[in-house]
Amino acid sequence: MDPILEVRNATKIFGGLAANSDISFEVPRHSVVGIVGPNGAGKTTLFNSISGAHPLTSGKILFEGKDITRLKAYDICRLGMGRTFQIPRSLNEMTVLENVLVASIGRHKMGEAILRAEKVLADLGLEKWKDNPAGSLNVVQKKHLEIARAVATEPKLLLLDETMAGLTGIERVEAVKLIKRLNESGITILMIEHVMEVVMNVSDNVVVLDGGKLLAEGTPEEIGNHEEVIRAYLGGKKW
Amino acid sequence: MNTVILSLIWSIMGIGWNFIGGYAGQVSNGHALYYAIGAYTVAVGAEKFGASPWMTMWIGIAISIGIAFLLGKPLLRLNGAYFLIATMAVAECARIIFLNVSYVGAATGIMFLDKKHSGWYSLQFKDKEPFYYILLVIVALLVLAAKGLDKSKFGYYLRAVKANEMSAQSAGINTPRYKVRAYMLSAAIVSLAGSLYAPFVQYVDPYTLLPLDKSTMICLVAVMGGIGTVAGPILGAFVMTFISEYARAAFSGFSGLNMLVYGIVVIFIVLFMPGGLISIGQKAKERFDRTRKRKGGGEHGSDS
Repeated sequence: MDPILEVRNATKIFGGLAANSDISFEVPRHSVVGIVGPNGAGKTTLFNSISGAHPLTSGKILFEGKDITRLKAYDICRLGMGRTFQIPRSLNEMTVLENVLVASIGRHKMGEAILRAEKVLADLGLEKWKDNPAGSLNVVQKKHLEIARAVATEPKLLLLDETMAGLTGIERVEAVKLIKRLNESGITILMIEHVMEVVMNVSDNVVVLDGGKLLAEGTPEEIGNHEEVIRAYLGGKKW
Repeated sequence: MNTVILSLIWSIMGIGWNFIGGYAGQVSNGHALYYAIGAYTVAVGAEKFGASPWMTMWIGIAISIGIAFLLGKPLLRLNGAYFLIATMAVAECARIIFLNVSYVGAATGIMFLDKKHSGWYSLQFKDKEPFYYILLVIVALLVLAAKGLDKSKFGYYLRAVKANEMSAQSAGINTPRYKVRAYMLSAAIVSLAGSLYAPFVQYVDPYTLLPLDKSTMICLVAVMGGIGTVAGPILGAFVMTFISEYARAAFSGFSGLNMLVYGIVVIFIVLFMPGGLISIGQKAKERFDRTRKRKGGGEHGSDS
């Protein structure tokens, strides 16, 4: 197994509260790994540490074997890790195309960057709105725009933070297809997700967090049958 | 003519400030510092060494860029109002330094009326026309440069920083680096404005160059005209300068009344045109486009 991302004993303490303590797992290249856990389990904190939004208190994060624990978000992005935010952070005053352009222009010259940005928008079904201000999009479109911007940075590893939350059933089916399509195009995916049917459906591996600790790790089947997980998260019912 | 020349100088300052305040969204209230550096470099050069402003303006720009580089990094770690206050404090410190260093004339300033050299050397002309054309060319060049940057990687990056810094970082933008670059660029341009203003009045002192409201005016010019646009600062500079000059002439009998009128105009613009004066044009254009689309829509079927 060739891990693209290794999290080793990751611990993050906010003023005495351990949001993450001693979490270790690996993300194999070309896989889809889901992170689940109840609210407050420390999923987004872990994401922020991995993507460089804030540094770990202790522990290490390796990306393609390189230690990125102390790197800033923009340097990590350059290395090939893209991320979305749970609450969409669109650049509202800029157009939809410009939102994606700022990401693709980091890798290409202007002309090429515009073409790539347009292609990403077309892939995500946003090309119709490309000249509209991003602030005029609805929440679902903004979530897509988040993904578009992350994809436009041409990541090898894509971190998706709750892209399904607030989507309707049909939209979810579309989103699952999208994740699968991205994965097939060669992007490894690490996703936080509350919607269990999605996680169980698309993930090769599932990491379960609870109270800031790693509770279990394994294939969806193993997790579905894991007693502690069922007790902590699935509410006693066998999945 | 006088007012037009002043407007052009203010335009340069507005264009300069716009990069850090308008595009990158870091509202500086201390750009008079760079204005003063530009003006003082030219004044000291002319008085002590008989140097031409054409030469000393580059020295002023270099000094401004250097200072902006050194100050930019710590200052730009601050956000919003804190950045504004810190830049203000830096400009105030500079005023006190200029007030007390006798080499640069301290409180009396420097007079440097140059009768030896030709106007093209000293930038001091008997008539105002040549200076007006020089300014016009410089403003035109700056507008071209600003236009180029507007749709460049640099321009988009700065706008992304303004829109959401965290988002910009996760899109791979080294936001601290680009903020400092924008700050240096804007310092250089404002310094150039100072270097052009000094030979126009042939006199520099801390009271006229570095009062607190100078920095605020630089900021207002861009904000009034339309923040983050190429034409905005120029429009703002002309409107603001004309209002301020005419208010001063019209209400000369009552001291302070001109500032009151000026203030009321500013409040009205802020209240009713938050996008700046330039938004009038944009709104008109939008309305025009919409009516055209509606008419066109009938022929081609709906296109939205």
